Amino acid sequence: MANVSESLQGEVAHGEAHEHPDFLQHHFDTPAQQFDASKLGMWVFIATEILMFGGLFCAYAIWRALQPQVFDQAHHFLNKILGATNTIVLLFSSLTAALAVRSAQVGKRNATSIYLVVTILCAAAFLVVKYFEYSHKFHLGLLPGHCFGHPGLSAAIQNGEEVGTCLRVNVDSAPVMPEWVQAVDESGHVQLLSPRANMFFGLYFVMTGLHGLHVVVGMSILLWVLIKNLQGRFSPQYFTPVDLGALYWHLVDLVWIYLFPLLYLVGKPE
Amino acid sequence: MDQTNHSHTAHADDGQVHAHIATSQFYLGIFGGLIVLTLATVKVSYYDFGPANIIIALLIATMKASLVAAFFMHLRHDSLFNTIAFLSAFLFLAIFILLTYDDLGVRAKERPTYVESMDPRTGEAAPGGEPATSATSFEVEEAPKGEKPAREPKKE
Repeated sequence: MANVSESLQGEVAHGEAHEHPDFLQHHFDTPAQQFDASKLGMWVFIATEILMFGGLFCAYAIWRALQPQVFDQAHHFLNKILGATNTIVLLFSSLTAALAVRSAQVGKRNATSIYLVVTILCAAAFLVVKYFEYSHKFHLGLLPGHCFGHPGLSAAIQNGEEVGTCLRVNVDSAPVMPEWVQAVDESGHVQLLSPRANMFFGLYFVMTGLHGLHVVVGMSILLWVLIKNLQGRFSPQYFTPVDLGALYWHLVDLVWIYLFPLLYLVGKPE
Repeated sequence: MDQTNHSHTAHADDGQVHAHIATSQFYLGIFGGLIVLTLATVKVSYYDFGPANIIIALLIATMKASLVAAFFMHLRHDSLFNTIAFLSAFLFLAIFILLTYDDLGVRAKERPTYVESMDPRTGEAAPGGEPATSATSFEVEEAPKGEKPAREPKKE
């Protein structure tokens, strides 16, 4: 009873006598209320992010149903080992992000900083692997629009014009028809890709590209959280930005968890 | 709010943030589980289970995503409303994909050219690709892979 009346007095006095903590915005009554509101806002944002990627997953489902063989053939141009490596890098960065939040919850400021740095470095490592994957595909001429499936390309090739790196694809292979692409896949087999495979690579580049953009944004958010942490803004009473930054980073991980098998793994093995 | 004023027994309604704090070992365990599932999904991709390939891949992916959402993202110990907000996205995504898929199937039955890729310059079926399998139930007729494309390149 005494406890209740004490806290009631605290509530009454709260408005006049007690100062809000620095981090508590004036339109919230308590830190807990502010924390819960922030989290709910973040989860609603995450739901909208899933719906944004959802449009691409829908396009993937439709095109894969229409052209299963083409998708099956084209997916052999993605390197499973590099994809799996990147998956493990992202999962590890999710672990360090979760540990950064945990350290912030228990007030270990230095540990939070270290975990955040490791998370950002893993994000950079992911992008480096992605860079090598992308540049290999550019080199093979698998970038839709620029080379692959480009309407003007067949005429240009027949006239012997240089079209960037695109000519490398068809240059030594007489039987290749215009707008088709002959290239060596990740298992070392020569594949003849029909122009329709540009839908697969189009989806591959847009889905992983949008995901890559999220990696860059996530890195920026975590860097901002890191700076605030180094400035000593966070405490066990207030670690919301660490928590929400980590939530964003886990979302990046979640999207990749689905992208990796759908793009790299689900076709027939060779 | 004044923190010293409150005893720890008044935890639930003292207005302070009381998030569930898991141990580091627990997070390491979750990470271990995620790695095992990743290796498993890569390993099974070297075997052909036919149409079950995508089901197995998505099942393992969903197990991984559940681990990340429940524990790394704290949904397990968070307000139920956050979980509902999160899962509602998948509900709407399912409606989106299933209705689009159904629409495409109906169109394919009514007029197959709706789902055929057409060359806008000639109006003919675009070159390449193979007919869709019976598994998809879309009837698309076109030249099998490796044969001459339906349309000859334009002669200037």
